Amino acid sequence: MLRHRRPRGRLLPLAVAVILAAPLATAGSLSAFVDDEDGGELDPAKRHLRAPHDVSFEITDDDRLLAAGEDWAEVLFPRLDAEFPGRFSFDDDAEVWSDNRGEYVWDDDEEVYWQNVSAETLTRGRQDYVQFCASCHGLDGDGYGRSAQALRPPPRDFSQGLFKFTKVSPDYLPSDDALVHLIQEGLDGTPMFPWDVAEPRLRDVVQYIKSMSPEDEGWRDSTNDFGDPIDVGEDPWVGDIPAAVAEGERLYHANGCYNCHPGYLGAVAINAIQDKPADTAFRENITIPKRVEDSSYEVLGESVDIMVPDFTWHTMRRGRTPQDVARTIKAGIQGAGMPTWETFPDKTIWAIAHYVRHLTDEYHGQPAKRAAFMADVRAGH
Amino acid sequence: MKTLLDALRSRATWRWLGTGALLLMLSPCADAAMLQEAVDLPNRWGPNPSASDYGWRYDELFTLITILISVSFAIMLILLVLPMIRDRARAGHKASFDHGSSLFDKRFTATVSVIVFIVLDAWVLVIAVRDLREGYWNIPTELEGAYRVEVLAQQWSWNFRATGLDGEFGTADDVITINDLTVPQDRPVVFNLTSKDVIHSLYVPDMRMKRDANPGAVNQAWFQPITAGDFAILCAELCGFAHYQMGAQLHVLSPEDFGAWEQDASMIAVAGFDPEDTEAQWAWDWKE
Repeated sequence: MLRHRRPRGRLLPLAVAVILAAPLATAGSLSAFVDDEDGGELDPAKRHLRAPHDVSFEITDDDRLLAAGEDWAEVLFPRLDAEFPGRFSFDDDAEVWSDNRGEYVWDDDEEVYWQNVSAETLTRGRQDYVQFCASCHGLDGDGYGRSAQALRPPPRDFSQGLFKFTKVSPDYLPSDDALVHLIQEGLDGTPMFPWDVAEPRLRDVVQYIKSMSPEDEGWRDSTNDFGDPIDVGEDPWVGDIPAAVAEGERLYHANGCYNCHPGYLGAVAINAIQDKPADTAFRENITIPKRVEDSSYEVLGESVDIMVPDFTWHTMRRGRTPQDVARTIKAGIQGAGMPTWETFPDKTIWAIAHYVRHLTDEYHGQPAKRAAFMADVRAGH
Repeated sequence: MKTLLDALRSRATWRWLGTGALLLMLSPCADAAMLQEAVDLPNRWGPNPSASDYGWRYDELFTLITILISVSFAIMLILLVLPMIRDRARAGHKASFDHGSSLFDKRFTATVSVIVFIVLDAWVLVIAVRDLREGYWNIPTELEGAYRVEVLAQQWSWNFRATGLDGEFGTADDVITINDLTVPQDRPVVFNLTSKDVIHSLYVPDMRMKRDANPGAVNQAWFQPITAGDFAILCAELCGFAHYQMGAQLHVLSPEDFGAWEQDASMIAVAGFDPEDTEAQWAWDWKE
């Protein structure tokens, strides 16, 4: 029996041609996407649209960052040594502490410890940074990531060395621990998540973030010092929260928190607390929070304004518990309008924290109840 | 090697292995607390009850497909297992082997395929298209009292923008929220979706709604909540490392609550509006 062979080969050359041509055509269209016509100079107004073709993962040079000041050196390394046995080693001859993130060298002239961060550490940090952080904070750490467009409040610009919620004393640099905690806990109400990344990797990312400080600023300025974590002690109001809330309400209005945050009492009540004549006037719209400038942070050359939180309405960035609120009050928010209230006794701060947390627990997410409460307050002005 | 092969041929081996596998499968039952937890779940056999007014369409279709597939799977199993038992080699009976390549076999297979396709696939397709036309694609307009929301997705968050009291986008009282959306009950909620960076997908399982947000294009979707409460919004398109963390809260408020909320939200939005900050004003022209 004769068998007819199907002419299978007729379409083969065409298929091969198509398969070969497809990558070439794709490459052609991609090269149109990567815009290098202006020699790499980017229109500042289009910085978000920077095509991510300049991703480099490899960092070749070691870096030198401020590690700890004189007063810390005596305390910090012995403490860390006790906390992480075996992590640090001390070279008696060279008087150098070292761990797997570099060497800590004493500088006699500047009287500080410098941390010599190895290029491998920075490369590891850079790799995780590009994967986790760069979409918002930008490949260069300038806060102009592709996804940062129109985000308010804007992502931090790491070249400023300014951090809002690290909860260390103001005007000080945050320690590695403070930065790691911030990344692990996240900031409520923003795309800054509680990042679910192993701590050793976060510590590398933190080294890389520190290395973005510009010359003679941040971690490259030997006159800077590290802030101790803010300590508010034990809650003095345990067992008597209603009293704390009542006292907090008085203190909140006695200390003029309503100058930026809303006031939650009528005019008569506030003036009574402040021992002022009952008809003393307040800022306009006292029941609505104020819009303030967000640090020296600029977006496309314009400074950015943000809302001060209304505790019955907004979420607090790092205020899940009264203790968190108390620490924020004591530390202040660097760069934003919130000053430090370090001069207050801890008991006062705790009372205000309880009051603020009470407002959130009571009214946040309950629009009808909140509207009735605020209408009452407004009626008193 | 030979011992191993012998062991594999021995029935005792398989009996022991089978018993072990059975015990392993039953081991969760030993954990009474875990079992009780599963029993106590309010709705342990299916998804959460639908909270939107077109959700029943999807639930019914889902049930229908499940039944059709279960029935055809059962028939398939019978057709496969029955001959295996009936025609197996045994004393006085030799197993036969058939290619199934006779003309009758071919015609039979073709006929069954066509019937299965018409009965199952076409049936499902007709219902699905009807549901799409009457439900999902039937996007209400503003005139029908729709509450409109512009959704701007990004790695790894949802930005929502509602019109506020004035009913127009791009004005001072636009209510902008991140990962937190408040909508009214018993009113259609219509979305315009796009993305800043990569493809995301707005997924509200309780509302039976899912729609991609593509960079450079505006997609539409809608639902009408019939239950007040808090629901989860998820991202249903792998969008990078933190995809699994990309979620938001959906608050459905009763009409009275929502009135109070919209009033306050607009007021606070106006107070926080910075006319100089042009970059933050990302509203686009509404796409009907």
